[in-house]
Amino acid sequence: MSDTLIKVTGLKKTFPVKASAFSSKSLTLRAVDGVDLELKRGETLGVVGESGCGKTTVGRCLLRLYEPDAGRVWIEPDASLVSQVSEIDESVAAMAEELATLSGQPTKTTADKARVRALKQRVLRDKARANQLASTSDLLSMSRARLKANRRRIQMVFQDPWASLNPHMVVKDIVGEGPLEYGTHSGRELDRWVHELLEKVGLPPQAANRYPHEFSGGQRQRIGIARALALTPSLIVCDEPVSALDVSIQAQILNLLISLQDDFDLTFIFIAHDLSVVQYISDRVAVMYLGKVVETAEAAALYANPRHPYTISLLAAVPVADPEHPNELRPPEGDVPSPVNPPSGCTFHPRCRHRIDVCDKVIPVLGKDRNGHVISCHNPPNG
Amino acid sequence: MDKLLDVKGLKTHFHMHGYTVRAVDGVDFSLSEGETLGIVGESGCGKSQTSMSVMRLIPDPPGKIEAGEILLRGRDLLKISEPEMRKVRGNNISMIFQEPMTSLNPVYSIGYQISEVLMLHRDMTKDDALKESVRLLKLVGMSDPEERVTEYPFQLSGGLRQRVMIAIAMACEPDIMIADEPTTALDVTIQAQILRLMADLKARTGTSIMFITHDLAVIASFADRVMVMYAGVVVEQAPVRDIFKKPLHPYTQGLLGSIPVLGEVKKRADGSRQLLNAIPGSLPDHRNFPKGCRFAPRCTKVMARCWEAEPALVPIEEGHQVRCFLHSDAVQETPAYAEVKRGQQRKWQRADRRAQGAGPASAATGADKTGGRS
Repeated sequence: MSDTLIKVTGLKKTFPVKASAFSSKSLTLRAVDGVDLELKRGETLGVVGESGCGKTTVGRCLLRLYEPDAGRVWIEPDASLVSQVSEIDESVAAMAEELATLSGQPTKTTADKARVRALKQRVLRDKARANQLASTSDLLSMSRARLKANRRRIQMVFQDPWASLNPHMVVKDIVGEGPLEYGTHSGRELDRWVHELLEKVGLPPQAANRYPHEFSGGQRQRIGIARALALTPSLIVCDEPVSALDVSIQAQILNLLISLQDDFDLTFIFIAHDLSVVQYISDRVAVMYLGKVVETAEAAALYANPRHPYTISLLAAVPVADPEHPNELRPPEGDVPSPVNPPSGCTFHPRCRHRIDVCDKVIPVLGKDRNGHVISCHNPPNG
Repeated sequence: MDKLLDVKGLKTHFHMHGYTVRAVDGVDFSLSEGETLGIVGESGCGKSQTSMSVMRLIPDPPGKIEAGEILLRGRDLLKISEPEMRKVRGNNISMIFQEPMTSLNPVYSIGYQISEVLMLHRDMTKDDALKESVRLLKLVGMSDPEERVTEYPFQLSGGLRQRVMIAIAMACEPDIMIADEPTTALDVTIQAQILRLMADLKARTGTSIMFITHDLAVIASFADRVMVMYAGVVVEQAPVRDIFKKPLHPYTQGLLGSIPVLGEVKKRADGSRQLLNAIPGSLPDHRNFPKGCRFAPRCTKVMARCWEAEPALVPIEEGHQVRCFLHSDAVQETPAYAEVKRGQQRKWQRADRRAQGAGPASAATGADKTGGRS
C-alpha cells in the first residue's frame, strides 16, 4: 500500500452567480480553479487563505458535498493508474481545446465539420474510458455503491457548532447515525461505542441523552468531533473547527484533535484563516489565493522562509502577541479581487510588491522551489 | 496625565426570566488623555457591556446600570439627562462596532451617514458636511472619496465598511473612541490595514482609545495598558509589557498559554507535538457565580480560601493590579463574604500551607515558573 492517502488533481468548481439583483445574465464564479494536493497517511495538511479564496470549497469537494466540475480525487491511489489516467485526461483536455478553437471559427467547410464531429466523439469516448479506469479509486467517477463504501473513510468537522448539529436529535442519535447507517454497530453495542466516543472527546456519558442546545460551543464542537470519529475514518476534513470558539476553548479543541490523531491514526485537512493555529497543528501547509494554491511547504519552513509574495505579506499581516516584537504590519494593499472576474496572468499581481512585466500576462504554474517549497510565482523575492 | 474617563464600581445587570445576569459586576478603570486601553477577555466576560454602559446604550429593560460612576472629565454620565447624553455620544465619545455591515444603515449612502454626525454635532450645512465627509474618507484611506460618498454600504467590502465606520467615529474628533472588536470580522490582511490606520489616526489626533478584543496579539501591538476581564470583573490590569512578560493572574497566564505563537514550533523530546496549555472547563454560569473567586473552578493553582471569598483587585506594583490570593490577601467585601468569619480565614491559610507543604512564599514562586513565557 502506498502512503499517499488522498491525491487531488486539477480540481475545479464554479458557481453561477447573477450579474446583479435584477439581471437574468449569469456569471461564473471560479471558487476552485485547478487545485492539486497530496496527502500522506497520518499527516496534517493545513489550508490557509483569506475569505473567498476557495479553501472551504476544496474541503467540501473532497467529500462531494459540492459536486466538482472537473478534476479527480484519488483515495489510496495506485501510482501507475494515476499516471495512466492523467495521460488520457491530458489528451482529452488538448482535444477539447482544439475543438473549442475549431468551433470558434466562423466559416466551416464540410471537412471541418466532419473533423469536429470525429473529435467530439473521441473526446467523449476517451473521457468515458478514463472515468472507467479511474472508477476504482477516484471519488468523483465512482459508482454510487463504491462511493458510499468510501465515504465512511472521509468525515468532516464543521465551522459553526451551532448550525451543524440537528437540534431535534439527542447526542446519542447524532453520533450514532453513521454507524447505524453503515451497520457497523447496532443495539447495545452502538450505545457502548457512542459512550466510548464521548469519553474520548471529553464529554460525560450523561451527554448521550441530551439535546445540542444544552451544550456550550466548545462542547458542541466535541460532539461534532465524536460524530466524525464514529465511523473510524482515515481522513477528517476540519473546516475552521476552532474559529467560532473562545481562545481558551480553542486550545482545548486543538489539544483534543492532536491527541485523537494518535489514538485513531487519523489524517487531517485543517482549513483555517488563523495562521498561527494552522502552523501549530499542521505538518504541511498549502496557501490558497483566489481558487489556486500558490505555495505549499513544510509548516516550519513556510513560516521561517516564505517564498511566494502572497505568503510573505500574509505572514507580515499577523500581529504577534509580544509587545516587544517590532510589529511592523505590512499587509498587501487593497482587497481580494472578485473571483467572478479574476485579474489576468498571476491573480495576485495587482497587490504584489515584486511584480514584473510578465506577471499580468502569463499564469504561473506550481513548481518546485528551494528547500521543498512548491510555489507559483514568476519572480519570487529573496533570490 | 489627567484622567479623561474614570469609571468607578460600575455594575450592569440584566433582569431576565426571573433571574439576574450580572454582566458587569463592579468594574473600575480609568483612561488618560491620548492613552489606548485594551480590554481583553472571552465572550461573555462583560467587556462589550462595559463599553455599552459607558455609552449608556444598555437596553433598559432588561438591562440596568445598577451602581457606579462614569466620570468624563469629572462629569458623571450616569446623572445627566438623555438629551444631554445624546450630545456626548458621537461628539465626546464615539464607537466603532464589530460588524460593519449591521451597524451601517443599508438604505442611506455613506456620505449621508457621515454628514449626519457633522450636521447634528457641528451644525454644518448639508453641503459643508458632504465636503467634510469627503475629507474624512480621504483621511481613512479610501480611494476616490468623491465618488464613494454616493455609494451604499452593500457596495463596499468589509474592510472599506470598517473604514467608513472609523470615518463616522472620527467625524467630530472625539475625546474617546471605543472600538468594540473592530477587526474581528475581517481577514488578517485587512485587519492589519485597519490597525495601521487606527494607529495613524491616533498619532495624528491624540484621541484616547478603548480597544476591546479577544485577540491578545492585536492588543500586544496596539494598546498601552491592558485590562483583563473575567466573568464581569477585572482580574488584572497592567501596562502592556507587564501583561505579556510577567502576567500574575492564573487566568491571564492561561490565556497566554492558549494561543499558538507564530513561528514557534514546540516539539516534545520524542518528536510529537507539544500540547497547548489550555484552561480546563468553561466560563461559569452568569446567573450563579461561584461564591469565592470566579475563576476558582478552572484555576490550576486553586487554594482552599479561593472557594470561600473573592479576592480584591489590589495594586502589586506601579500600575499593575491583580485580583488573586496568590499575590495578596485582600478580600473583596461582598455580602457573601460578610457571613464568613475572620477565624476561618486563618484556617484556610493553615490548610493552604499544609497542602503545599511549605511556607506561603512557595505559591508566588510557583506562579513565576509557569508565568514566564519568554
